[in-house]
Amino acid sequence: MNKENDLPLAGIRVIDVATVIAAPFCATLLGEFGADVIKVEHPVGGDTCRAFGTPTKRKDTLTWLSEARNKRSVTLDLHHAEGKRLFKELVAQCDVLCENFRPGTLEKWGIGWEALQEINPRLVMLRISGYGQDGPYKDRPGFARIAHAVSGIAYLCGMPRGTPVTPGSTTLADYMSGLYGCVGVLMALRHRDETGRGQYIDLGLYESAFRCSEELAPAYAMYGTVRERKGPHIEVACPYGHFPTHDGKWVAIACTTDKLFARLADAMGRPELASSVVYGEQKTRIASRDEVNEVVRDWCGSLNREELLKRCYDAHAPVGPINNIADIFGDRQFHARRNLVAIDEPTIGETVIVPNVVPRLSETPGRIKRLGPKLGEHTAEVLGELLGLDAAAIGDLRKQRVI
Amino acid sequence: MATTQTEEPVSSPPADARLPMTGVRVIDVGTFLAGPYAASILAEFGAEVLKVEHPIAGDPMRHFGTATKRHDATLAWLSEARNRKSVTLDLHQKRGIELFLQLVAKSDVLIENFRPGTMESWGLSWDVLREVNPGLVMLRVSGYGQTGPYRTRSGFSHIAHSFGGLSYLAGFPGESPVTPGTSPLGDYVSSIFGAIGILVALRHKQKTGRGQVIDVGIYEAVFRILDELPAAYGLFGKVREREGSGSFIAVPHGHFRCKDGRWVAIACTTQKMFERFTQVMQRPELNSSSMYGEQAKRLAARDEVNAIVNEWTGSFTRDEVMKLCIDGEVPVGKLNSIQDIFEDEHFKFRGNLVELEDDGAGKVTVPGVVPRLSETPGRITNLGPPLGDSTYEVLIGLLGVSAEEIADLRRRRVV
Repeated sequence: MNKENDLPLAGIRVIDVATVIAAPFCATLLGEFGADVIKVEHPVGGDTCRAFGTPTKRKDTLTWLSEARNKRSVTLDLHHAEGKRLFKELVAQCDVLCENFRPGTLEKWGIGWEALQEINPRLVMLRISGYGQDGPYKDRPGFARIAHAVSGIAYLCGMPRGTPVTPGSTTLADYMSGLYGCVGVLMALRHRDETGRGQYIDLGLYESAFRCSEELAPAYAMYGTVRERKGPHIEVACPYGHFPTHDGKWVAIACTTDKLFARLADAMGRPELASSVVYGEQKTRIASRDEVNEVVRDWCGSLNREELLKRCYDAHAPVGPINNIADIFGDRQFHARRNLVAIDEPTIGETVIVPNVVPRLSETPGRIKRLGPKLGEHTAEVLGELLGLDAAAIGDLRKQRVI
Repeated sequence: MATTQTEEPVSSPPADARLPMTGVRVIDVGTFLAGPYAASILAEFGAEVLKVEHPIAGDPMRHFGTATKRHDATLAWLSEARNRKSVTLDLHQKRGIELFLQLVAKSDVLIENFRPGTMESWGLSWDVLREVNPGLVMLRVSGYGQTGPYRTRSGFSHIAHSFGGLSYLAGFPGESPVTPGTSPLGDYVSSIFGAIGILVALRHKQKTGRGQVIDVGIYEAVFRILDELPAAYGLFGKVREREGSGSFIAVPHGHFRCKDGRWVAIACTTQKMFERFTQVMQRPELNSSSMYGEQAKRLAARDEVNAIVNEWTGSFTRDEVMKLCIDGEVPVGKLNSIQDIFEDEHFKFRGNLVELEDDGAGKVTVPGVVPRLSETPGRITNLGPPLGDSTYEVLIGLLGVSAEEIADLRRRRVV
């Protein structure tokens, strides 16, 4: 395993003044690969992510423990003049700033892009908000739930004509925005290293979800096609969907090509289904979608999931289990890939299992040094280290409730 | 292929602007989206991307989705193979492999998504590639990753959503799980993780000169973004179930139907937002502590609260609900179809839809570049290229292959 300062982002200092998951997740990713991430929080309550989800013995939720990994927590009241001054001094010494306030908020506090760039022309600033920094809706509050709706992804999720449902997870667009934001930050750091000039990245939550809709937009523009909800199915392939097994569990099947369907027919012990006069061709299967789905559904319903999967894997058919989290904890692949990491957390006296770093790098793998910090755990440490404040000065700031 | 932008996109830097990835050469030998989309991102910000394809079949993505006037390009191909040059090479032939290795020697990044073991079977293992180019950064995306007992199973996005735990959560409790919105979601997410891996690895290469491999299973990219799901099971044995249009976090937080049959999303994540919403509904009494004035009470009475909200939204058109909620500062959004999106002023303002002219397919509208950078915005130079449009240019210009040999390679279908 590599040493700390051999990590690719060693020496990069990030201030994360954002809340919940969107922009903070960018900082999390940077921290996993060696950046020093300083989480700046309001002295009372801190990041609202601390209250998002299931609470632990120390109140901070599991989401916080997992996603604030590797960060150092510093409290600073940005409404306070002294808080602003200290914040600017920190920004002067950092490479990246992540924020996701409503547009105009930092400007109102006198610490917007213009002001900060003057202090630090090399600064790279990630700004995530519901709708981005400009445009007619920029002032509206935005959460991932709203972003899923606005981006068109929620409209596509659910049974035909039924109520549109959550696309699996209510925080999807937050994570996707954190990911896109991280791409932007890494690009901007490259540019900065070449030119000495920083820049900001402007991302609306809805944009990250909309970008991932393949030909939805081109097909409407060219042919006026308005895609509707299809349940678990898709227009261009069959059988493709979710099917219940005999034991009440579910599997996913995706026969996107004729070859894959032939393998499924083999697994079913009915190779004749893949002959060209029956369902051998995709267009025939699409034309007889209901019949094909019924044949597959009957077969799935006749076997327990484990037996069905075994037959499919032996025939290399494109099938997988629809795992719940209990299934995942028992799955060999997750363990072989070390996708789950158990970390002892002394502040609650428990072992917490969190998802490991993605992606996996061969020479410089990322790592989780520690879980989400307690509020203000590193205030004295960071203010001492970076701004040279001594214990007396810090005591003073505490009295004034600046930190 | 010459494509010209017919509408000024928001992000159009001067042609000579130096972009962050200018000077980086990427070989994309993958198919479909999982992996190749990482190349699209790098290309939007200036990288030169060579799409290496089989001389006859090409990338099957060319035929996936809605057909266009171009026989070698669906709309999905045109949009997502943006900014590439297509180079044909048959990797089953010895000369094809030789030329491929020469290309690798002159590139910075290689992206592939074959089933693990495939490149090795062609003699293109990491050890061989690293020998011709010690600084190479290689992104490998596959359904289950390069290691582990399931590594050779076929894995698509649809399977990965299921295996990674996302599909189980999409749909109504006790009913069929549904696709989590769009079927290639996992392809995109794994590619963005991959792009981050590439950028991090390029940084390491700058410092040390050494390349490395980035190994992404599509399922693990999906699993990574499920907030506290594993931690809550690990600590409390909590198995999250499908939640329909709602969420375990807050109530009301879901999708509601309006009088005109259209839908809105409303998300009252905090007490303050619920309070504002009760004022908007002109039902301030709902916010009293004896009724639903606390999140815990609303979570316990989820169905009742949602019924009240549905009744309220059902008495107004979507536009009316939007206006009332926006004026009252309640987090609300139209549940947009793609038609709604094309009519939306905000999408227009932000340049999220970009119209380009393709020589063969005509006018094509595609999603613009995400994210938006202030100094070095990305751009779309061309839509998905015709098969082999840059084979000559690259083989002659970059590898110094003679015109005679190319003619011979053509005859033997190596290119």
